Amino acid sequence: MPGFVSKHRKFIVIFFLFVVLFWLLTVQVKNGRFLFLERPVLAVSGFVERIITRSFSAVESVGDWYDFLVSTDRENRRLKTEVERLRLNSALLNELLFENERLREALSFKKLAPPLAVMVQVIGKDLSPASSTITVDKGSDDGIGKDMAVITSDGVVGKVHTVLPNTAKVLLLTDPGNTVAVMVQRNREEGLLEGKLVNCALKYVSYYADIQEGDLLVTSGLDGIYPKGLPVATVMKVTKQEAVAFQTVVAEPVVRFSRLEEALVLKK
Amino acid sequence: MKPWVYLVVLLLILPVQAGLLNPLSIGGIKPDIALAVVFIIGLITGPVEGAFAGMSIGLLQDIGSASLLGLTGLSRGMVGLLSGLLGRRVLDIDNPMIVLFLVALSMAEGLFIALFLQTTYGAVPFLSLVAGRIVPQALYTGLCGLLLLHLTKKKNVLTALTRRELRKER
Repeated sequence: MPGFVSKHRKFIVIFFLFVVLFWLLTVQVKNGRFLFLERPVLAVSGFVERIITRSFSAVESVGDWYDFLVSTDRENRRLKTEVERLRLNSALLNELLFENERLREALSFKKLAPPLAVMVQVIGKDLSPASSTITVDKGSDDGIGKDMAVITSDGVVGKVHTVLPNTAKVLLLTDPGNTVAVMVQRNREEGLLEGKLVNCALKYVSYYADIQEGDLLVTSGLDGIYPKGLPVATVMKVTKQEAVAFQTVVAEPVVRFSRLEEALVLKK
Repeated sequence: MKPWVYLVVLLLILPVQAGLLNPLSIGGIKPDIALAVVFIIGLITGPVEGAFAGMSIGLLQDIGSASLLGLTGLSRGMVGLLSGLLGRRVLDIDNPMIVLFLVALSMAEGLFIALFLQTTYGAVPFLSLVAGRIVPQALYTGLCGLLLLHLTKKKNVLTALTRRELRKER
């Protein structure tokens, strides 16, 4: 026996390490994820990611500068027309806003205030095959805090997970640990959207709820993280099974994470 | 391999995976360079070092991302161990076809993680996960593994390591 142990000592150590890792996993499934060493690793990787991203941006900007010169005149004329159209739209919207405010006051509704936002740049993506996260170039120095909503003009991206002074890690909608309270825009049916790596699944939707493919899911605001009414995902597939109380609803995020370069973090 | 080489690999693998590979992304799929590195370390150093390197790199990825601590460490450790065993007993390192094993190991790891997430969180859409992420990423990783292996051979890393092993045996 001692001969066997000394002969295969290294393999026994490796086997023991595998057992420890498996035990770690089972403990976390029960009690939640460990945050061991998370901040120092993010600090180091965020620093190097920032250097890499800036170097690439510098190289790209040389090419972009040439394109910019070529297309400026054409773009300028198009933008002037666009500005005129938007001015007209803005005047109409202002009228509607004033009317809306008057009516809200008449009905004693809470006044809607647009949340403050910080523009962030994505400096790192998809670190591990078992999760969906991005790293952004701003952190607590710019007022970013844990669990703040991250959005683009298309819709919800995810929420802030870990924050350092000038870096933050964002949990994307598709991360298995991310859940968003949503509702179907068409009929206000509510549910919880959970990340499934490539897309998302709507949970706890009653068998009798009217959900159709193509329905847009928007935030319901019930989770206290995302403001109400932001587009989140589009329903791709609905499966109903006899004798199962809930439907299986698969949804695709409206934001294309592969093309994500900038986002807005909404301050609370 | 020398400890400082491991240290450099560990320090660079996260930023390279998260930042440098983004411009290489095709339709949201980018190669898993960390897995290719584990595979090559396993091939050239053997099962024990391969498993240890896989566990270390995987654990670092777990810490750096938001996944359960140990999930990628466990799967990458297995990849390192298997590639080490394959390198020692079955595969000819000079044959470029060995990257097919990397493709297979990448798919196996993807399925393992999907199965684990299915057991833990439930309702993982397997078909879209396999067709939309696991298979394309495995193929892309295989291609990058081929390039990495070519670079390793070009830099005579294999010869240096073999010489060191022979010296040890003597």
